Amino acid sequence: MDHAEIKDLIPLKALSRLEGDEARAVDEHLAAGCDECERELASFTEALAAMAIVESGGDGPSDRIWSRLQARLDADRPPQRIEDRSVRETSRGRGFAMLASAAVAAVVAIAVTTVFFNSRMRTDSSDMSNEIAALTARVVEVQRNLDTTGDQLAALEAKVAQTTDLTLASLGPDSQVVRLGGLPASPSATGSVALNRAEGTAMLEVSGLPPTPDDKVYEVWWIGEKQGPLKAGLFEPSSHGATIVSLDLPPPGEVVLASAITLEPSSGVEKPTGAMYLKGDFPRR
Amino acid sequence: MAADNRISDEALVSAMATGDQDALAALNQRYGRALSAVADRILRDKADAEEVAADVLWQLWREASRFDRGRGSVGAWIMMTVRSRAIDRLRARKAREPRAGDPVEPAAANDPSSEIHSSERRRKVEGALATLNDGERDLLRLAYFSDLSQSEIAERTSLPLGTVKSRMRSGLIRLRDALQGSIE
Repeated sequence: MDHAEIKDLIPLKALSRLEGDEARAVDEHLAAGCDECERELASFTEALAAMAIVESGGDGPSDRIWSRLQARLDADRPPQRIEDRSVRETSRGRGFAMLASAAVAAVVAIAVTTVFFNSRMRTDSSDMSNEIAALTARVVEVQRNLDTTGDQLAALEAKVAQTTDLTLASLGPDSQVVRLGGLPASPSATGSVALNRAEGTAMLEVSGLPPTPDDKVYEVWWIGEKQGPLKAGLFEPSSHGATIVSLDLPPPGEVVLASAITLEPSSGVEKPTGAMYLKGDFPRR
Repeated sequence: MAADNRISDEALVSAMATGDQDALAALNQRYGRALSAVADRILRDKADAEEVAADVLWQLWREASRFDRGRGSVGAWIMMTVRSRAIDRLRARKAREPRAGDPVEPAAANDPSSEIHSSERRRKVEGALATLNDGERDLLRLAYFSDLSQSEIAERTSLPLGTVKSRMRSGLIRLRDALQGSIE
């Protein structure tokens, strides 16, 4: 298929309505770096976005979406990220929290006591002001540490909730659990997928995957008997320990033969295009 | 996509990359309702639609420092991503009919400049859509807001597959050309 034929297909690509050989040819052409077709695709995507905004009632805020985002922000404040903590740190995190609380109380008590006695013993108000300022700074510093520890605790609690979900997905008579094995791209990586259709849960646990490049993400796939590869979710691996993510369920009625993980462009793709890093076959029932 | 004197979407994403939560709130102010509405039109489930919409803005928040401005506007990216995610979710679960008890979110107040921008853009896009014939317009809507394949669209509309392809193509080209220059 030459450039002109590919260019004719770009509007359908923007609508995600290409299939089979045509879809493959366009993807390969774009991946090869055709700037003209990239620009065409971007212009059609812009036009469709404008149509969608107007057809859906116009732009504007959503308070309910903001509530959901606010909850996520609260649970995931930088610099601590959930992936950067292992479950084993739970008790230590709580210990730090209690320790930090005690430290704040102690510093506040020292501050009050010191100021009280100083006020009785000295008349030099500027010295007292300096001491109050210094003690206040200490209190602020300890409070900041306590905030950080609170963030760690929230992240750890979320991690525990994820682990619980994974455990629940793994249990029960309807559960299917498959071990994922590392492939040549990442031989030391391991993982498992737990699928419980009855409970509507699917979870992935994975470790040992290399970090993703800036413009890439790992994509999880269900390999269906009838429909072939089906998107299950996107994730980036944690810098320490295991990564646990929730997956979309496979379509009802589809027999899942296997699950696999490939490296794909950061917005994800409809069908696998990148190297496969992990794969595991589901036992036939 | 913003063509007025507001802070651009791209500037908001740059601010998000530094951890500015107000910038995230501003993007929700601009696109939250549209994201939710597009996802709802595909999923027919308001709670799922809100979750998908929040996922898209959350992804942008987490990846703001890596947003590739060379591949199109922020508005186009988030609208494309919400559609893709909504279709993924639709495929992953049994389609459900809209529930009578679905909560209806009261309209939140826009700031006046947003209202002006929004109504101006609406006028331009509606003008562009009016340049399409009915067949092209209906096919574009069906293709965008559903998970139907080309063959399924042909079956649904009782049109030959070749006609479906050519009308979707000509309609989108006409829409793009009519919008070019009128919306940044």
